[in-house]
Amino acid sequence: MSILLVLIKRNIKLFFKDKGMFFTSLITPAILLVLYATFLGNVYRDSFTSNLPDTVKLSEGITEGLVSGQLISSILAVSCITVAFCSNFLMVQDKANGTIKDLKISPVKSATLSMSYYIATLVSTLIICFVATGVCLLYAAIVEWYMSLADVFLLFFDILLLVFLGTALSSIINFFLSTQGQISAVSAIISAGYGFICGAYMPISSFSEGLQKIVSFLPGTYGTSLIRNHAMRGVFAEMQNQGIPAQVVESMKNSLDCNLYFFENPVDISTMYAILIATIVVLIGIYILLNAFAKDKS
Amino acid sequence: MKNIIQIDHLNKSFGKVKAVQDLSFRVKEGELFAFLGVNGAGKSTTINIMCGQLSKDSGNILIDEHDLDKDIDFVKRELGVVFQSSVLDAALSVYDNLESRAALYGITKTAFQERLAELAKLLEFEDLLKRGVGKLSGGQRRRIDIARALFHKPKILILDEPTTGLDPQTRKNLWNVISNLRKNENMTVFLTTHYMEEAAEADYVVIIDGGKISAEGTPLELKNTYTGDYITIYGVNEDAIKELGKEYEHIRDAYRLFVPNTKTATELIIKHPSLFYDYEITKGKMDDVFLAVTGKTLMGGREK
Repeated sequence: MSILLVLIKRNIKLFFKDKGMFFTSLITPAILLVLYATFLGNVYRDSFTSNLPDTVKLSEGITEGLVSGQLISSILAVSCITVAFCSNFLMVQDKANGTIKDLKISPVKSATLSMSYYIATLVSTLIICFVATGVCLLYAAIVEWYMSLADVFLLFFDILLLVFLGTALSSIINFFLSTQGQISAVSAIISAGYGFICGAYMPISSFSEGLQKIVSFLPGTYGTSLIRNHAMRGVFAEMQNQGIPAQVVESMKNSLDCNLYFFENPVDISTMYAILIATIVVLIGIYILLNAFAKDKS
Repeated sequence: MKNIIQIDHLNKSFGKVKAVQDLSFRVKEGELFAFLGVNGAGKSTTINIMCGQLSKDSGNILIDEHDLDKDIDFVKRELGVVFQSSVLDAALSVYDNLESRAALYGITKTAFQERLAELAKLLEFEDLLKRGVGKLSGGQRRRIDIARALFHKPKILILDEPTTGLDPQTRKNLWNVISNLRKNENMTVFLTTHYMEEAAEADYVVIIDGGKISAEGTPLELKNTYTGDYITIYGVNEDAIKELGKEYEHIRDAYRLFVPNTKTATELIIKHPSLFYDYEITKGKMDDVFLAVTGKTLMGGREK
């Protein structure tokens, strides 16, 4: 057990000490922040107010609450995946620079090494994402606070699940990589691509119908939606309290990906959790099988 | 002395390339064993198979009387490896590096602290423990590599070109440490090197070329078999040297004759005693052996 702990400590330390790897993991959330600060925030503000019927008027607080909810849910949804990938690149770096040879000439079990990468990635990503969640909540409190204690708790739970998903997914993909060039390629694809497909830059509801259908097959989509639901539930509740018709609120939830549809069938919150948890279990199973297969092969 | 490494009929191919072909040799306990060959000769493949990093196609390997196929964990505990280039974590401190590597052998807490103190004293790196490995000089980093390889007290230390790129003084210091380890702990050293003067110090040498053994023996046996002797004669003129009827060359203040062996040199001295007032007889060098065996030379890490 102490062997595993020391290896986990080594992997976590390496991630935080390798400034290149650490800052690369924060590129996508940083880009999102810049986009919101420069124009996305205003685009959302305008769309929230201009698309409403003339009879409905949103208070400034509600509008800001929606924008901040959209911002923080986007940042957090993206971070859980991109940070996990970057943190888990250590597994590939160890192969690329030959360190894995040094680890494997010892009698340590391959399963212990694989587990150390998985747990270290999980811990590093959780540290960063929980700190990011704290900062986001602080920002939301300063702008306009609508969340209940249950929302905050569930938000942290969503982050936890999404981090598990990101870690399992990155473990499987990184398993097949072995060079610095491959790290750069996958890093670029994940950083640029994931923000888009999870609807961080533009809501999934604004995608074409075909793309929406494809995205509905990706489990991460439901993780993002869970975060959005818990980051913005309080704002929607307040909108209803202020007498805004339920139909308008529902339409807004649709446009902000709080409501998701799988081939026109609405996916409720508990189903989203079920999809996410099942996917995590399957991915971890695949990772274990990959390691077992690799061991047999060697 | 028992055989601590016993390799029989080892074969390994990568596709159509036969990296190792029917390789068999023995390494005696406590000896300095030199494993020589140009790049691509099959040295690293053999070492990787010995360390359990690579599977073999056929053949048997016994390390300290344990079959590699059956007792891989035991074998791994018997081996300490210093790789050609350092594979420690450059971003971490010396302490953190050694802590994580020691843990791989189950050495943690007090056992780790005790062994660390021993090695830090032996290899003189007490003042480097908090320094990042990436910030160390080549010689300092090599000392830490050796400490990492020795942490679990292996019986066999594999040194894969350990001194390549190091300055002469650092090389000398490292060899002093390794010699002391051999003397004090009866450690077997399995060396690959491109420096023939290091190979000349070995107890036994195996030269491989194209995955096969081209020559093996003690340095003396190899020199006697594959090279001749040199007689350097001082204070004589060239006409006198010509009369000896041997191949010679003029060096700054002497003439150097090449003779096939020491017996011939002795006969020459007896026959022409007047010429041999000031002279020396030297054996051929390991470079000459290597050149004679493989047709190639090794120059400080580069193949020619």
